[in-house]
Amino acid sequence: MIHPLCCTTLDRTMTERASLTIADGCATILLRRGESRNALDCDTIVALRRCIDAAAVECNGKRGVVRSLVLAGEGKSFCAGMDLKGVLHDAVRMGDMLRGLSSALLALRRLPVPTIARVQGAAIGGGCGLAVVCDFAITHPEAKLGYPEVDLGVCPAVVAPWLVRRIGAGPARAMLLAGGTMGGEEAAARGLVTRCVPAADLDAEVAALAGRLATGGAEALACTKRMLNELDGSLDEKIAADAAELSARVIAGPEAQASLTRLYALKPQGGPAANPAR
Amino acid sequence: MTTDEQPQVILQRSGRLLTITLNDPRRRNALGTALFEQLERALDEANPRDIDDAPSVIVLGANGSAFCAGFDLEACVQDATLLPLFVERLGRLTARIRALPAVVIAQVQGAALAGGCALVMSCDIVHAAADATFGYPVHRIGVSPAVNVPVLLATAGLGAARRIALSSEILPARQAESLGLVQCVHANEGALHGAVAALAESLCAKSPHALRATKAWLNQVDGTEATGSLGSAVDRAAQATIDVCRTAEARSMLDSFWQQRRARM
Repeated sequence: MIHPLCCTTLDRTMTERASLTIADGCATILLRRGESRNALDCDTIVALRRCIDAAAVECNGKRGVVRSLVLAGEGKSFCAGMDLKGVLHDAVRMGDMLRGLSSALLALRRLPVPTIARVQGAAIGGGCGLAVVCDFAITHPEAKLGYPEVDLGVCPAVVAPWLVRRIGAGPARAMLLAGGTMGGEEAAARGLVTRCVPAADLDAEVAALAGRLATGGAEALACTKRMLNELDGSLDEKIAADAAELSARVIAGPEAQASLTRLYALKPQGGPAANPAR
Repeated sequence: MTTDEQPQVILQRSGRLLTITLNDPRRRNALGTALFEQLERALDEANPRDIDDAPSVIVLGANGSAFCAGFDLEACVQDATLLPLFVERLGRLTARIRALPAVVIAQVQGAALAGGCALVMSCDIVHAAADATFGYPVHRIGVSPAVNVPVLLATAGLGAARRIALSSEILPARQAESLGLVQCVHANEGALHGAVAALAESLCAKSPHALRATKAWLNQVDGTEATGSLGSAVDRAAQATIDVCRTAEARSMLDSFWQQRRARM
């Protein structure tokens, strides 16, 4: 297990692709597609969404018992991004997948407890989007983060609103239009993650933050988070829906089709971010 | 005065890259009638009918020690009708820059003040030399920077925008960077030009379609899309500025500001 807290109280396996564990007041959602760097394919997105919904039930049902949620990925990488391989030529399923991701991000944001992304290895494209939707994100210097979508002829529409809310519109514009990826320290300097610590300290840092959050008033934290979500437009369902449509439209276009076909032929394993051109 | 001699805006097209260079260094590229006209023509070129002919990247830079020091105040003092006209043209110009299909990079050395700062803020990505300065020191001439507030709000966030638009502060490049107005500060002009050229080259290599869609989506997400259509936020903001320009207070403040400056020179 990646998370250091021992699993005593509850262990629920949602599916093979993602699991929800609750231990010592901290819920952990673990992406379990490590062999593909936790790239988000249809099944993984569905499994993630079910874990988020189950976590919401736990948090709301036992207010004050679950105090924080950690989002993590098994293996070497947090999440290498969207895996469009299976749906590249199927516009309908592609649209479903992007809508699924967009609404999962919204559900993650709505959770009434503070959320922490534990980012090791890589958080690329949609994977970086997951980290940015969390209230906190902690990474290490060797990790690679960023949004190389435009490098691949893809529009990062689904993740854009969340990045704007996190780092502001001006810096988000520069990051999304320039594409590419960055190391953990630069990601911390540019506000993409909240902290960058040595890789060996990652688990301890996440546990310490979760521990500190558990000392705050549960009701106060939930109200504060809801207030912040309202203030920064996080609950805007229309923009989340429009984003998925736009992203699907651009991916269905000839440019993206050509570059993604090339990419997957080159790298049959992993997500589109497997080989982002800088 | 100078229109016949040499162009005040120089355009260079190289493949997908269009470079627009303000070229009136003697007057610190102050925005006057000729410069406005030539910039407006440059934007026509940047947004042709056939989208396939459009540049996908634009670098907006300037010759001389300053990027753009704001309006040509001498002309405004001589002709009282000019100031409101300039405000209107600036509003339209900045809205058009934001709505361009190309990614626009501002390359800023020296002063980018008032109208010059507004031009920079309407660009997508801002690179600056360490000597660059930003701000809206227009209250001392009785003018409101309202015309640029919609874009400023979207770029810098509510707190910083309020500070910048109300304080008249002139921010050094590093401080502008920490407030989110500037993305990257370089030690000197040489480093600035090198970094902007490298960024422009890397952007030109990307899919124009994805860049265009991403920019348009960002405009929608951060609310600056509305500035693309005239008669919307920018027009209301410009009107607010114009109303202030037309007051007797603004006239007398501008006149006395100009007299003091001439006395110093």
